[in-house]
Amino acid sequence: MPNLNINGRNMSVEAANDTPLLWVIREQLQMTGTKFGCGAGLCGACTVHLNGEAVRSCQTSVADAVGKKITTIEGLSAKGDHPLQKAWIAEQVPQCGYCQSGQIMQAAALLSKNSNPTKDEVVAHMDGNLCRCMTYSRIQKAIMRAATEMRTASATGNERRAT
Amino acid sequence: MNEHVKNVTPETTDLSRRSFLVGTAATGLVLGYAGVPGIDHALAAAPAHFEPSVWYSIAPDGLVTVTCGKADMGQHVASTMAQIVAEELGASWKDMRVQLASNDPKFNDPVLGAQITGGSWSTMMNFDAMSRAGAAGRMALTEAAAATMGVPAGELVVGNSVISHSKSKKSMSFAEVVKSGKATKTFTPDELKAIKLKSPEQYTMIGVSVPQLDIPSKTNGTAKYGIDVMLPGMVYGKVVTPPVRYGATVKSVDDSAAKKVPGFIKAVTLDDKTGTTTGWVVAVANTYANARKAADALKIEYDGGPNAKLSSESLLTEAKRLQGLSDSGQFFVKDGDPNAAFGTAAKVLEAEYTTNINIHAPMEPMNATAEFKGDILHIHTGNQFATRSGAIAAGAAGIDPKYVVMHQMWLGGGFGRRLDADMTVPAVQAAKSVGKPVKVIYSRENDMTMDFSRPLTYQKVKAGMDGDGKLVALSHDVVSAWPTQRWGIPDFLSPSVDKKGPLDAFTVNGADFFYTVPNHYVRAIKNEMAHNATPSGQLRSVAPGWTFWAIESMIDEIAHATGKDPALFRVELLDGKGKNDGGAQRLRNTLLAAMGLAGYGTLKLPKGEGMGVACVSSQERATASWTACVAHVAVAPSGEVKVKKLTVATDVGTQVNPDGIRAQVEGAALWGMSLALFEKATLKDGGIEQTNFDSYTPLRMSQLPEVAVNVIANGEKATGVGEPAVTVVAPAIGNAVFNAVGARVRGLPITAEAVKAAMKA
Repeated sequence: MPNLNINGRNMSVEAANDTPLLWVIREQLQMTGTKFGCGAGLCGACTVHLNGEAVRSCQTSVADAVGKKITTIEGLSAKGDHPLQKAWIAEQVPQCGYCQSGQIMQAAALLSKNSNPTKDEVVAHMDGNLCRCMTYSRIQKAIMRAATEMRTASATGNERRAT
Repeated sequence: MNEHVKNVTPETTDLSRRSFLVGTAATGLVLGYAGVPGIDHALAAAPAHFEPSVWYSIAPDGLVTVTCGKADMGQHVASTMAQIVAEELGASWKDMRVQLASNDPKFNDPVLGAQITGGSWSTMMNFDAMSRAGAAGRMALTEAAAATMGVPAGELVVGNSVISHSKSKKSMSFAEVVKSGKATKTFTPDELKAIKLKSPEQYTMIGVSVPQLDIPSKTNGTAKYGIDVMLPGMVYGKVVTPPVRYGATVKSVDDSAAKKVPGFIKAVTLDDKTGTTTGWVVAVANTYANARKAADALKIEYDGGPNAKLSSESLLTEAKRLQGLSDSGQFFVKDGDPNAAFGTAAKVLEAEYTTNINIHAPMEPMNATAEFKGDILHIHTGNQFATRSGAIAAGAAGIDPKYVVMHQMWLGGGFGRRLDADMTVPAVQAAKSVGKPVKVIYSRENDMTMDFSRPLTYQKVKAGMDGDGKLVALSHDVVSAWPTQRWGIPDFLSPSVDKKGPLDAFTVNGADFFYTVPNHYVRAIKNEMAHNATPSGQLRSVAPGWTFWAIESMIDEIAHATGKDPALFRVELLDGKGKNDGGAQRLRNTLLAAMGLAGYGTLKLPKGEGMGVACVSSQERATASWTACVAHVAVAPSGEVKVKKLTVATDVGTQVNPDGIRAQVEGAALWGMSLALFEKATLKDGGIEQTNFDSYTPLRMSQLPEVAVNVIANGEKATGVGEPAVTVVAPAIGNAVFNAVGARVRGLPITAEAVKAAMKA
């Protein structure tokens, strides 16, 4: 019975070691925000974080996730108010919305390392995430908006520390 | 602390739905009506008498919950319906909520008489009904408030969910009126019809980009799609589909290896009397991962059936053969005598245009959950055609459709794919066989190879010009599978002009354009071979996605052949004479708007770059949104086409939510580009060759061009925006490629190889 650390909780699950993490998250843990799209790592709908890195949970076995910190869309922020989530609402990004958990998780991994990405960096980082509604331009705008907010927040925090 | 999570499926706490369902308390004020007189109840009889609680309810806490009978697949139609209700009701946007309707006929579309979402019809066909429902609510609340306040109802003003009387400075909130229990007035259809609605200058909500109500739940994982349904005791099904798209049968199933998969329950071979599926088996197990393993372990022998040798090439060859026969098909348009006019024309041009098979591939793979409870079959899935899909599910179960309840979910993409009901068949038959609720989820491979695809099409267009280069004759043959005829619903077919029986107008819509051409015919020819081998469906924009590819390419070819500017040639043809009066002028204006916005004819372009135009009256002549596009492309010597910018103008009459419209138009335009350049499916040995996003490749972020959208709202009635912009982009790109490098490509998708070959030619 593999032990998983997911969104800050430790859980043991009943699943064979080769079970894709995606299905354990969705079915056993009943966290359905992470989506199944292609089962082959081609669309990004199932993106979660393993130790802060964006990975495709359909291509990650439960065994590979043991001992690592798993974060899903449900755990990205306590109240759904991560700067990216706020930006996604401000820019009215989602249409059908099905790919957007994966888009947000993919973008969050970028901004956690680089809060001032160029447009090319955003495109390179996000190109593996398909959006069949083609909301790409709003995704780009929302990432830039969130990055700005994160930089402002961090600058404000630094000033506070400085004084 | 370590929590142990057992491998069972307890009932979920469905937070997103609950938050939407707030406000349906029994004491709430309920409003609605059975539909306006004179509407065409094509499929199901509307309720014979006034039924309360149809379109919305207001709870004692003042929250207004609108029940949306349309499938919400990302067009935010539920939010749009709420916005229209809120305008006339006088409710504050923060008080509005939405929920999705079941398949109860009382939620049928007031114009279509069925629950079907498509055609970019929803806003135009529900605007009046939702407006009247909202106004009726305002009147009932006002009357009740007047009685309580002891003032004349005529002196009350409604806004922001508050009813106020300025003279006495008294006011009551909607919540207070509902709590008083005095709001009980109901309306007959005639009374509803008599309500005087606001005039556009009085609007405070229509035309405002209020935030879409469904969006927050789509940023935090709480929006529930069909794939997210969890029922107590539920097990999972994975379909195993045959190598042949349609017509295969299962000869034998060996489940000896599958039995070794832990959690495996049963392999169920479908007995589909609805004919929706052929040769399918469902592997049922306790988890989806195990169902997949079991499915992979099944050894199934098939008889490939009559289509097992067919390919895209054979479908195209058959299409050409049919087109060549003088008695093929039926006439959709027949004005004058094109054949006679060709005989006297100074110049005649002929061209063939093709489109390949295209796959919907919404991001949420097809799925459905079926549960038998007593006499009732419950289906949980996101579906665009609950009226028909419920009947298909019933057919799969062998019960009367009235015993089927369709539980609507948010759709993880529709694009026409979820008009079909195939996903219900394995869920129903597996649930029946194992005696438990079953959720069936297609793999992406199942989803792609068993799509009800956009059919392969072949069109031949012939044009005749007089000595002045004036277009005097056009003949247009359209050969395709007939997607809408496949539904088996006569009301969706159209009479042919030559009285040769009904035709599927959803294969030729758009070909009845607004250009003035005195001699014009359009022939709809059914490709029976393609119809049987690749059962086709309605893919976002349907026929205008191919008819305008042909027409708008041909118009350009004619202009170039007669030495005219292609855009100005269109303006000439849109003279608004006769039956084209009104529509032609709107389309002309839209084209000029797009040209202006794009800098057509004024911007100096480097070598290898070009602009091309197209304009369309999609979706149908009677329901058109007037849409034009200028595509700006750069073509490399290799033939590779890079779209630099798409400028789209669209006349939608009235905008409900401007930001929502822009999102739809941009998405539609990018769909058009994706179909024009990147998406191609092929049939080989009876099966679709592309199985996942490595071989079927919709547009990705790195391929995104600049998109400029100009929405024209001139006060005419609201039209649809989900599809029309799809149809205008491919011909605009094709025409731009020609202007850039002189290469005319007549087949979709436009590949680098085809461009390079045409450059040499």
